[in-house]
Amino acid sequence: MTALASIRDLSVTYRRDGSEVAALKNITFDVQAGERLAIIGESGSGKSTLALAIAGLLPASVRIEGHIDWFLPSTSGAKAPPLLGRDIGFVFQDPSASLDPVITVGKQIAEVAHTHLGLTWSQSFAKAKQLLERVRLPDPDSALRAYPHQLSGGQKQRVAIAAAIAAGPRLLIADEATSALDTIVQAEIVALIRRLVAEDGMTLLFISHDIALAAKLAERIAVFRHGQLVELGATARIINAPTQTYTRTLLDAHIGLDAEPLLNRGGTRG
Amino acid sequence: MSLLTVSGLTKRYSRGGKTLTAADDVSFHVEPGETLALAGPSGSGKSTIARLVLRLIEPDGGRIEFEGGDFLALGGSALRARRARLQMVFQDPLAAFNPRATVARVLDDPLRIHGIASRAERPRRIAALLERVGLAADLAPRAIHEISGGQRQRVAIARAIATKPSLIVLDEAVSALDVSVRGQILDLLLDLQREQRIAYLFISHDLGVVRAIAHRVILLDAGRIAESGDARAVIDTPRSAIGKALVAAAPRLNRNRP
Ligand SMILES: Nc1ncnc2c1ncn2[C@@H]1O[C@H](COP(=O)(O)OP(=O)(O)OP(=O)(O)O)[C@@H](O)[C@H]1O
Ligand SMILES: Nc1ncnc2c1ncn2[C@@H]1O[C@H](COP(=O)(O)OP(=O)(O)OP(=O)(O)O)[C@@H](O)[C@H]1O
Ligand SMILES: [Mg+2]
Ligand SMILES: [Mg+2]
Repeated sequence: MTALASIRDLSVTYRRDGSEVAALKNITFDVQAGERLAIIGESGSGKSTLALAIAGLLPASVRIEGHIDWFLPSTSGAKAPPLLGRDIGFVFQDPSASLDPVITVGKQIAEVAHTHLGLTWSQSFAKAKQLLERVRLPDPDSALRAYPHQLSGGQKQRVAIAAAIAAGPRLLIADEATSALDTIVQAEIVALIRRLVAEDGMTLLFISHDIALAAKLAERIAVFRHGQLVELGATARIINAPTQTYTRTLLDAHIGLDAEPLLNRGGTRG
Repeated sequence: MSLLTVSGLTKRYSRGGKTLTAADDVSFHVEPGETLALAGPSGSGKSTIARLVLRLIEPDGGRIEFEGGDFLALGGSALRARRARLQMVFQDPLAAFNPRATVARVLDDPLRIHGIASRAERPRRIAALLERVGLAADLAPRAIHEISGGQRQRVAIARAIATKPSLIVLDEAVSALDVSVRGQILDLLLDLQREQRIAYLFISHDLGVVRAIAHRVILLDAGRIAESGDARAVIDTPRSAIGKALVAAAPRLNRNRP
């Protein structure tokens, strides 16, 4: 496998009024071209920060040390930084962060296709409709004309995914993109993402707190804690033979359909 | 007497010339200290029902009784006073707060608006609330957009419990949290329920979580109640088509434990 991006000694520090938060500390690993890589780890461990750093979306006030080298096919070996929207599709943790509240859903998706694929507006809208069908949004015709607030949480998240993949990016970064979706749609989106990776040769960086879902989707899993990369390995190895105690703690905390109800730990009612 | 009784609740939306019934003749009740979960696929009407119960939107039909009174008839100061008893935590914490507001400000607001603590007492109360939800006190001066998603959701819970409510509506409140924090938050919710007999209307698409935390569950499909009953019984052996499909599609973690 060849690397799509090489992350070397990456440290990210947020600064504000003299206080500092070290969100990532000396992170080194490669994102392989065409792989499905999941990032898991507790809240505040730096997952979103890593995603933002890779996408070049961190604010200017943030101190970034180390570097990320890109190997994008289109730039024939030159280490040119990727362009957000064209080379990288990004789905944010909060759907409201991905979508503009005053622009119709159709226009937002069409805009990506228009800007990066050079399609005419009518072609772009046709493409937008196709994408809404691809992410299984019910009634895509009416959704095209809807504003984000007229959609449910899960519907908004599907629109954000459609916009992120509109230009056929090399890398799709999905930050908790499916947390707000029901299991049926989630399974469909997971299948869609698998198809996109397989058919379009896309690379996937999938951030999720849902270990079962990450395990289902990813070939490799990276575990983060306190801004550090705890371990990185093949999915089966991480799930069945984690080398780090912390990974085991995370696995044990998973609440599956067979988990002992928390309610039983003491009568609440009556 | 039930804490919350909803009967025949109906809400229609029009979009692109079509009418969509987001809540269709929905009836249920919530007892003090009880967790009732609303589950169902995306777009089935869960958030619509939450917003109706909170009176963030008005229904096209039906009744809502809360703490023994006609909740839909309340207005002005009576409604504001009653709202202290009915709090919410949403799916989307960035949208719920002004992102530039500080954590301290977000917690100060309900204490001030509902006259719960004097100005002098409020910093101590804020520190206690942060501690109650497992956040460090030094987070207080940070802006909401400067903390992680999980930290933000804990701030939202701290704000919800600030006014000592009898019912909290939680709309996908733990969906974006990692498993360890989610476990802690669920434990926290259960502790608060035991201590203060708070009832929860708990909206989630995560059936594992619903099964772990709820007493009863209602499964919604296209704005209607498809099935309801004891949370474990419904999720272990769903009878409705939508219940079966949701359970079948849930991802499972198959571990070979040594
Ligand atoms: N803009 C910011 N300014 C200051 N600190 C920040 C900012 N954004 C994040 N942080 C801090 O950096 C750390 C890492 O945050 P990050 O959002 O990357 O975590 P995460 O792993 O994505 O968590 P979650 O699962 O809760 O989304 C946290 O301690 C957080 O409070
Ligand atoms: N303001 C609105 N205008 C028009 N349609 C709306 C509006 N709000 C919600 N809807 C529609 O009503 C239906 C129910 O939406 P609701 O947000 O209640 O779903 P939900 O069960 O919470 O879904 P999710 O799990 O995706 O959050 C959806 O089809 C949605 O598109
Ligand atoms: Mg995050
Ligand atoms: Mg919703």
